[in-house]
Amino acid sequence: MVRLGRQAAGPVTQDRVLPELDPVIHSQPRLRVTVALAALGDGDRITFPRLQELVGMTSGNLATHLRKLEDAGYITITKTYRRRTPVSYVELTRTGQRALEDYTAALRLLLAPPGGQAHEKQGEPGS
Amino acid sequence: MTGTGQPPNGMTRPGGEGEISPQEALALVEKQRHEVAGRLMVDIELILGAWGVAWLVGFGAAYLSYGRHATVPGWLATVLLTVVNLGAAALTFGQSARRGAGIEGPSREVMSMYMWAWPLALAGVFAVDSALARDGLPVRLDSLLWSGTAACTVGVLYLAGGMLFRDRVHYGLGIWMLITGAASVFAGPPGNFAVLALAGGGGFLVAAGWYAWAGRRPAR
Repeated sequence: MVRLGRQAAGPVTQDRVLPELDPVIHSQPRLRVTVALAALGDGDRITFPRLQELVGMTSGNLATHLRKLEDAGYITITKTYRRRTPVSYVELTRTGQRALEDYTAALRLLLAPPGGQAHEKQGEPGS
Repeated sequence: MTGTGQPPNGMTRPGGEGEISPQEALALVEKQRHEVAGRLMVDIELILGAWGVAWLVGFGAAYLSYGRHATVPGWLATVLLTVVNLGAAALTFGQSARRGAGIEGPSREVMSMYMWAWPLALAGVFAVDSALARDGLPVRLDSLLWSGTAACTVGVLYLAGGMLFRDRVHYGLGIWMLITGAASVFAGPPGNFAVLALAGGGGFLVAAGWYAWAGRRPAR
């Protein structure tokens, strides 16, 4: 369920409060990157070139969006050496994972028919 | 969009980069998840299909080359069995290496250990069977030993794969391969090769077909 804190709550419509969408993730390139990283196994990390191949972005563009995700604490970038060649590994953090889960839950809530929640609360048959 | 013409909260962000609507965003999440999973996971139906063909052709040739009424020369059966099995092994290792390239962490480590378990286990079985053959095991029993131990080892490795990846089809294939291995010994030569070709190769192909069907099913 979407957590609707003070900052997350948006405008009130007839019967519900619409959630804010996380501006860090609510951008096509960053959403693609976040989803790709979330598809990796728990605790796994990926090299910059492989991530670039998965999301189909130029290295400059990808680096820009990774910086924004890193600033938000959603990913960590580890720079290391492998056989004397510099390698950058990208990994989704717990915060990033939770942010993506909250974001997709918020999307579903935004797109749910307005009467959907009320029906659930009343416990009508088929809910 | 609302009826007033004003975008609901979060719908659009004027001036934002890669601006998308919630509908587009949700569709993008689903599409990206599906695409990335397809590029990270091995093509299991292709791998099982290759092993199915390898067993069908390789052990089928071995069956046809056995005895006085053989229709396939012994040398050709040996070459075929070796080539198709090496080909299927190369395809399996190639897929795993390509899909896992550039990724490291716990899941890659588990996958790597599982992949290496295959040649290690089969090398152990090969050593034991070779030693028994050298120690004077009759030719008839030698043939049964090879087919039985190879199929049962494959069965145990598929059981392990089923547990590791929480995949019941993999686990079921493991059980089927254990039955196949045991049945091949009971069949006796040259029926043991026919059992491996038809039941073993057929089992792989059925499993490959199931994965192909399941993969094309619309997600619920």
